Amino acid sequence: MSRPLALSRLPMSIVQISGLKKYFDAVHAVDGVDLAINQGEFLVILGPSGCGKTTLMRMIAGLEKPTAGTIEIGGEDVTKLPPRKRGVSMVFQSYALYPHMNVFNNIAFPLRAQRRELKFDKRAIREKVVSTAKLLEIDMLLDRRPRQLSGGQRQRVAIARAMVTKPAVLLLDEPLSNLDAKLRANARDELKDFQRSSDITAVFVTHDQIEAMGLGDRIVVMSEGKIQQIGTPQSIYDDPANEFVATFLGSPSMNILSGNGFRFGFRPEHFLPKTLHDNPENSRLFHYYVKRVEYLGSDRLVYGYLRGSEDELTLAKVPSNVRVSLDIESDYEFAVHNSDIKFFDKATGGRIAQQNLAQAHT
Amino acid sequence: MTRLALPAFPLDNRRFVGLLFLAPALLYILLLVGFPFLLAIAFGFSDVTVGNTDLNFVGLQNYLAVWENDIFRQVFETTIRFTLISQIFILIFANILAIIFTQDFTGKWFARFIFILPWATPVSLAMIGWLWMLDTKYSPIDYLLLQTGFLGPNGILSNNRNLFWLATPDLSQISVIFVQVWRMTPLATVILMAGLSSIPTDILDQAEVDGSRFMRTLLQIKLPLILPIMVIALLFSMITMFGDMTVVYVLTRGGPVDYTRVLGLYSFQVGIEGGNLAQGAAISLFAFPLLLAMAIFMLRTASRAEVQ
Repeated sequence: MSRPLALSRLPMSIVQISGLKKYFDAVHAVDGVDLAINQGEFLVILGPSGCGKTTLMRMIAGLEKPTAGTIEIGGEDVTKLPPRKRGVSMVFQSYALYPHMNVFNNIAFPLRAQRRELKFDKRAIREKVVSTAKLLEIDMLLDRRPRQLSGGQRQRVAIARAMVTKPAVLLLDEPLSNLDAKLRANARDELKDFQRSSDITAVFVTHDQIEAMGLGDRIVVMSEGKIQQIGTPQSIYDDPANEFVATFLGSPSMNILSGNGFRFGFRPEHFLPKTLHDNPENSRLFHYYVKRVEYLGSDRLVYGYLRGSEDELTLAKVPSNVRVSLDIESDYEFAVHNSDIKFFDKATGGRIAQQNLAQAHT
Repeated sequence: MTRLALPAFPLDNRRFVGLLFLAPALLYILLLVGFPFLLAIAFGFSDVTVGNTDLNFVGLQNYLAVWENDIFRQVFETTIRFTLISQIFILIFANILAIIFTQDFTGKWFARFIFILPWATPVSLAMIGWLWMLDTKYSPIDYLLLQTGFLGPNGILSNNRNLFWLATPDLSQISVIFVQVWRMTPLATVILMAGLSSIPTDILDQAEVDGSRFMRTLLQIKLPLILPIMVIALLFSMITMFGDMTVVYVLTRGGPVDYTRVLGLYSFQVGIEGGNLAQGAAISLFAFPLLLAMAIFMLRTASRAEVQ
């Protein structure tokens, strides 16, 4: 079950989405979304591809007409307004830089296009472009064409172009996925710094949970067009609302096992040899058969199964620095702290209260 | 293990199969383009006629004779003028139509289909149609103008019952240019449509979010981005038109007097109808360096234009 955010009209919420739906014929891309985005927050919309996150963002931008529902930005109903009247800007996954314009003209484009609304003259445009470029440290690239820039530089130009009009909301559609892994961590850090210092409201769409956990003040987990959970990275990870959220976040994902009329799960890193648990009374004991061990440097990833659930692969992630020897094809006593075991409804996948674990597993 | 030297089945040989696949294209180029082209060059430097097919080398004699011929100069000038004027209209119409046809509207498929017909129809058939439309006496256009009071006694355009579309110096040239524009616009439009639909949707979405309206997006994003493709479209229609003889051959035979005589037709008339193969070849070869230079210039422009 999803836990919809209380829809009280907080004065600080800058975007208010109610009952938003988008159907493409039979496909329900977005299927009833209620969401309040707070002023100045970094909100991440996380979900697997096809979950409707990009469609949701495109509707906020005004590029997609909702089938039903309303979007308010800054207290004004913008559902039927074109993008230019919404005070939003967007950074696309491809950066969508205008290839025939140099960096200066790329950044100046929204200012010129909205000259009438923003009331800028030529000199003001020049000043805005230069100051925004300085902020993003691309002021020495203003004469270059996009194809003469590196991936990281292109991304900065795209962000500068999106920021130059001082939008109420900055929408970012997987802007880091085109960068190589080394650049990405750096870009993530810079993006967060930049968002904090400029105090802009950012909505960031991604399928990458590490990006989501690292960047988001709050994360919206989406699946099949619906919001599954909204919360801080920690609350979503530690207190998943349902089985989807529980298994979508975390790598390797949560072990899910069948209980008596319900399902339950625990994360591999919480599933440790009994001897490592300092308080065995609060823990649940399992007989664990170790099939195979992968040495991953900082951790050992253990593949095996619980005695009594031989057909359900169960993983354990044991830190390498704990000196417990784990031999393959052997039985061990493993334990999970009681509070780290989550219970789910067998039919709906929603979280349920603690259940009695069948004797078979112990 | 050594391979047995069995006589291989020819289709197992990659080189043979490759050549086989290339053969139709190679044959076409060699027999229908290369050979006639070389023959034309050989003819141009000879004194060959329909009556006497001996090839005697006469140097630049044909070219000098052609160049000093006043009719040739006029024909050359007419060809360039027709080509340039029609290109301007083709570009304007093709751009407008390509933009219309890339919008969403009901009946788009049918409209596109109707619109492509002028290009899909064989030239000579289409020209026979136009010959009737522009007939000196029975032109349906004249009939409509007559009924609406533009023609006839006290008519706005003329007191005559006819405008003589293909018979007066001005109107005959306008008619030929108009028909050429009618015939070539579809191809240019299709090429431009391909160009417009190749612009990434992200770029157009970005422009929309950036607050750009229709005209700004058109003039500052779409047209600059399809400029290289526009050059290709222009190149195609210029080269087709520069060498074309069918339109004027069917409509006017170059008349009245020499007003609509173009290079292709003149070469045909001198070389084939007049029997002077050598001079006919020389006339047509005058177009070659010009077209070559044009093609090189445009292809360079297109490849230099910066598109990601």
